[in-house]
Amino acid sequence: MESASDSRLQAGSASLGQGTREPGPLARQERLAYAILLPVLGTIFVVVTYPLLFAVDQSLRATRGGDFVGLRNYTTALENPLLYEALAATGIYAGIVLPAEILGGLGLALLVHRTVRSARIRMAVYVLATLPIVIPPVAVGVIARLIYAPGYGVLNHLLMLAGLVQAEIPWLSRRETAMLAVASVDVWQWTPFVYLVCFAGLQTVPRESIDAAQVDGATRWTLFSRIELPYLRPLLLLVLFWRLADVLRVFDHIFILTGGGPGATTQLLSVYLYRVAFKFFDTGEAAALAVLVMLAMSLLYATATRLLPLERD
Amino acid sequence: MKRWVGWSVLTVVAVLALVALLPSWVPVSAQGAKPAKLVIAAVAGNESLGLKAVAPTYERESGIKLDIVEMPYPTLYEKLVTTFQAGAATYDLIMLDDPWMPKFGTEEWLTPLDSTYGFKRDPDIPGVIYDVGTWPPPRGPVPPSEKSKPKHLLGITVVGNVEMFMYRKDLSPAPKSWDEVLANAKKLNKPGSMAGYVVRGAATNPIVADFLPILWSFGGDVFDASWNVVIDSPASLRAVKFLVNDLKSVAPSGAENIDAADRSRLMAIGQAYQSTVWPGEVTGIVENPKVSKTIGKVGYIPMPAGPSGKGYGMMGNWLLAIPKASKNGRAGADFIVWVTSPKVQKAYAEAGGIPSRTSILTDTAMNDKNPYFAALAKSLDAVPNWRPRTDQWNAVETILGTNLNAALAGLATPEDATKKAATEIRALMKKAGY
Repeated sequence: MESASDSRLQAGSASLGQGTREPGPLARQERLAYAILLPVLGTIFVVVTYPLLFAVDQSLRATRGGDFVGLRNYTTALENPLLYEALAATGIYAGIVLPAEILGGLGLALLVHRTVRSARIRMAVYVLATLPIVIPPVAVGVIARLIYAPGYGVLNHLLMLAGLVQAEIPWLSRRETAMLAVASVDVWQWTPFVYLVCFAGLQTVPRESIDAAQVDGATRWTLFSRIELPYLRPLLLLVLFWRLADVLRVFDHIFILTGGGPGATTQLLSVYLYRVAFKFFDTGEAAALAVLVMLAMSLLYATATRLLPLERD
Repeated sequence: MKRWVGWSVLTVVAVLALVALLPSWVPVSAQGAKPAKLVIAAVAGNESLGLKAVAPTYERESGIKLDIVEMPYPTLYEKLVTTFQAGAATYDLIMLDDPWMPKFGTEEWLTPLDSTYGFKRDPDIPGVIYDVGTWPPPRGPVPPSEKSKPKHLLGITVVGNVEMFMYRKDLSPAPKSWDEVLANAKKLNKPGSMAGYVVRGAATNPIVADFLPILWSFGGDVFDASWNVVIDSPASLRAVKFLVNDLKSVAPSGAENIDAADRSRLMAIGQAYQSTVWPGEVTGIVENPKVSKTIGKVGYIPMPAGPSGKGYGMMGNWLLAIPKASKNGRAGADFIVWVTSPKVQKAYAEAGGIPSRTSILTDTAMNDKNPYFAALAKSLDAVPNWRPRTDQWNAVETILGTNLNAALAGLATPEDATKKAATEIRALMKKAGY
């Protein structure tokens, strides 16, 4: 027996789903849907839209006095050579950490997926992989300082103990080693994340496809490139964007390890932005930089999602 | 249904209103009424040791609870600036480092202690202590925007920090000049086991704090009396070369990454001969029996002289001030009077606090317990330099400290580093209206 309320629900669903509703007052279900959405939309407005609009407004105003200055903050930000030094440092950092993390995580996932059959060992690897991710970045920075610091750094101590070096290597004081040191911390903390995502992706590959390919004499590489990789591709793209966005946000461990030094060698975009905002207190230029970074990321994401195949073949 | 919509709209409006009103929505109590508690924003570390030690006595005597909110050095500055920009009355009292005074004074965020609460100079406290708490500055160049403003006392020193010099008195006599510092360092430097001189060379604030006394002693400066940038002058360049060539040659490896804690640690474990030092490092590490192996072996003196014939210590006083937005100004002022009184200052110093009263710094018994007190008294008497009194100092320090660090790391020559720093500082100051 169909109740009156069921009939109303069906009518409402039809009007929501078909898009052929006659013009007129909103259906009751439609109004209910909007009413339920309203608090969520309001919260999003408060925590996302309003700060964004505020940042855009601030980027168009003078830091002192708040007068409208048009695009002056943007031109000042773009004319500053320190911005390009920071962008170059960010590029180098991304060039080290992204391939290392993605290839390392993927390799580890394939290794565990193909060789480890024991559920206990898999669980142990899972727990170990989760650990670095849940440690606060500040703590990671402090631990890394104990490893690389001049004088009492564990790494130098071990290298000297093993007879591999005769004198301390100033890891955080040389251009090349300082960048490698800060990048190594990122790789240590986030490769396990890539591993977890890839490992989860590999679990979705149908066993029959693998078995059939093996019967046909497929090599390990063919198995990976023809069967497993198509399943992993959307996940790898997701990971790539996630990590790229993180590279633009990375701050804590760099601040603790090198403070952006030596010179401005490890002054990544985020550290530079922090300095403009909280050392120079040039809120106009800092807001302009933040808006530019956001636009660049949105553009990059939009282009990549159009050009790269996110769906499985 | 209508109720649903009504409640939803109400929720959104309430959330929006809460966000909009948050900065001004604070408990109100009359300026003169006795509050239940005073909230003090303080720096985390040895600088707040004394304050925390005397807090229970104050609470007992006054019946007002002290809520000391400690924050690391860089966080404290950011927190204070953003709190004041928002006009929030979060803190009744704040601890501020003296280089922050130009920013806070220019923005008029602090309550004048003289005209509002009748503070007067005490002859037992060196005049320079009152000068550093006064805005606009009573001597030296005044920022263009501040020239017409009346001078007011905005803060009183609670940590009488002045940068001094420490050396191993069991290994050599006290150096009188930077030339002697270098000569002694060369004599005693043994790479790996004893550093002749520890350069505090980490980027930005640390290296600038280590360098400014050397710069001034060599006759150089960051600005001249008319705010012209002179960090690339011949005298300044000579000081930079002394730091990054001469002193670095007798410094431990990795000097570009050494900060105050690393320097004090090296001194405390007997692997360093000499360096500059802040009083907080002395009480916290070098003379701390729990961690130091060199107690009784380290001597403290005012900064050695340079080619200019004079040595310049650097002020790093921590002041107590009352934000204009504070709702408990009167009680805050009473607390400042109480904590800087002779009786409390003695207890404060005994608990590890760094006093500024001459009578305490020259007290024989106190000197036996605190071997750096005499040097601190002499440094204050000699009228130490303060960092340039401009609200742009944080930015200037960041630029200078980044370029000096690059020179120390060998990424730039001293000439290129000073030239680059000068160019960037000139652009900054021009933009700021200097």
